[in-house]
Amino acid sequence: MKELSELNLPENLKYSDDHEWARVDGDVVTIGIDDYAQDQLGEVVFVEVPEIGDTFSKGDQFGTVESVKAVSEIYTPVSGKIFAVNDSLAEAPELINNSPYEDGWIIKIKADNLSELDNLKDKASYFQMLKG
Amino acid sequence: MEIIDLNLIDYIKAFELQKKIVSDRINGDIAHDVILILEHPAVFTLGKRGGRENLVVSEEFLKSRNIAIIQTERGGNITYHGPGQIVLYPIVNLELKKTGVSEFVHALEEVMIRTASDFGVTALRDKKNHGVWVKKRQIDGSSLQQNITLVPEINSDLDNNSDLNNNIDISGVSSNAKLGSIGLSVKRGISFHGLALNVNLDLTPFGWINPCGMAGISMTSLENERAKNIDIKSVKEKLLHHFKKLTSSDL
Repeated sequence: MKELSELNLPENLKYSDDHEWARVDGDVVTIGIDDYAQDQLGEVVFVEVPEIGDTFSKGDQFGTVESVKAVSEIYTPVSGKIFAVNDSLAEAPELINNSPYEDGWIIKIKADNLSELDNLKDKASYFQMLKG
Repeated sequence: MEIIDLNLIDYIKAFELQKKIVSDRINGDIAHDVILILEHPAVFTLGKRGGRENLVVSEEFLKSRNIAIIQTERGGNITYHGPGQIVLYPIVNLELKKTGVSEFVHALEEVMIRTASDFGVTALRDKKNHGVWVKKRQIDGSSLQQNITLVPEINSDLDNNSDLNNNIDISGVSSNAKLGSIGLSVKRGISFHGLALNVNLDLTPFGWINPCGMAGISMTSLENERAKNIDIKSVKEKLLHHFKKLTSSDL
C-alpha cells in the first residue's frame, strides 16, 4: 500500500469522493479511477464497462472493477451519454494499475451539464480528504 | 460491530439480508459494521464473471440432487457451500476505515490462517491464487481424494520460506489443497459477501466443479487435515475472535 505522499495525483484533473478522476475536453469528460483507488484495489483482473450510447446520471454506477477476488462498483461524477469506452482494458485490465490516468482511462462521457463537475475536488482538497 | 449468527440459512435469504444491511448502511440507517456468520445448505454459486463452464457435471445431475446454481455479483469463480463450511459475511465500511480491498482480503486470509492454526492446521497464502491453502502431504494426481492426514508436524521448509505475512508462493496449486475461499463485492465503499472456511463438510460436491475456475485443485477441510471431529461452534468463535482482532479499527 502506498503512503499518501507517494500518490500520483495530477494537478490538471478533478477528483470525486469515490476516487474517480475526471478530465474535461470540451463537453467530453474522460473518467478513470485514481492512483489511490488502484492502489487500494490491488491487481485489477477485470473491468466491466458500459456500452457506447448508455446514459447515466451523476453518481450512477457505470461499471465494476474486479481485483483480488473482489468486485467493486465504479461511479460517474457527471451525467451524460457514453461516448467511448476503453476497449484495451478487456485484454489488459492491468492498465488500471500501471497507467491510471493515461492508458487506463475507463470511459468518455458526453456531459449533460459540466457544472456538475464543480462539486469535484482539485488535487489539494482531494489530498486533504485522503489525509483527514 | 454487530455479529449475527444465522446458523443454517438458505443462500438467497442470506443474500437478501446482506443487500438490506448494505443499503441501510449506505442510507445511514445503520451506523456500524455487521458481521453475518452462518452455514448454507448445499449450493453452488457463480462469480460475477461466471464459472458455469467450470461445472463438470450436468445441471440435470445437480437438479437430481436438489442443489441449485446461483449467479452472484461477487468476485471469483464457481464455488460450493454446504453444511460444515463456515461462511462469514463482513458488511464493513471499508471507505470509512480507509482499508483498501486488497488489504481487507489479506486480513480475511489471515483470519482463516490463524483460525486453522488454532486447530493445528498450517494454512498458507498463495501469491497468485487468493484464499488459504494447505500443503498436501503427498502428490497423488487425483484431484479429490480425501487424504486423511495427521496434524502436520512443523515443516521447516515452510518456515524458512514464509515471511512475516506468512506469504509464500505455492503457485504449483496442484500440490496444495484449498481450505478457505474469498469472494467479495464492494458497493459505495461497503463490503459484502465474504469468506468460506471448510470445517467438516462433505467435500464430494467440490469434485463436480473446478473450484474457483482452476482445474485440478483439491479442496480440503480442517477435519480432513486433522482426522478428528471438530466442533463447528468453536471454529466460529475462533474465526470471530481473529476477525475482530484483525479489523479492530472499527468505529
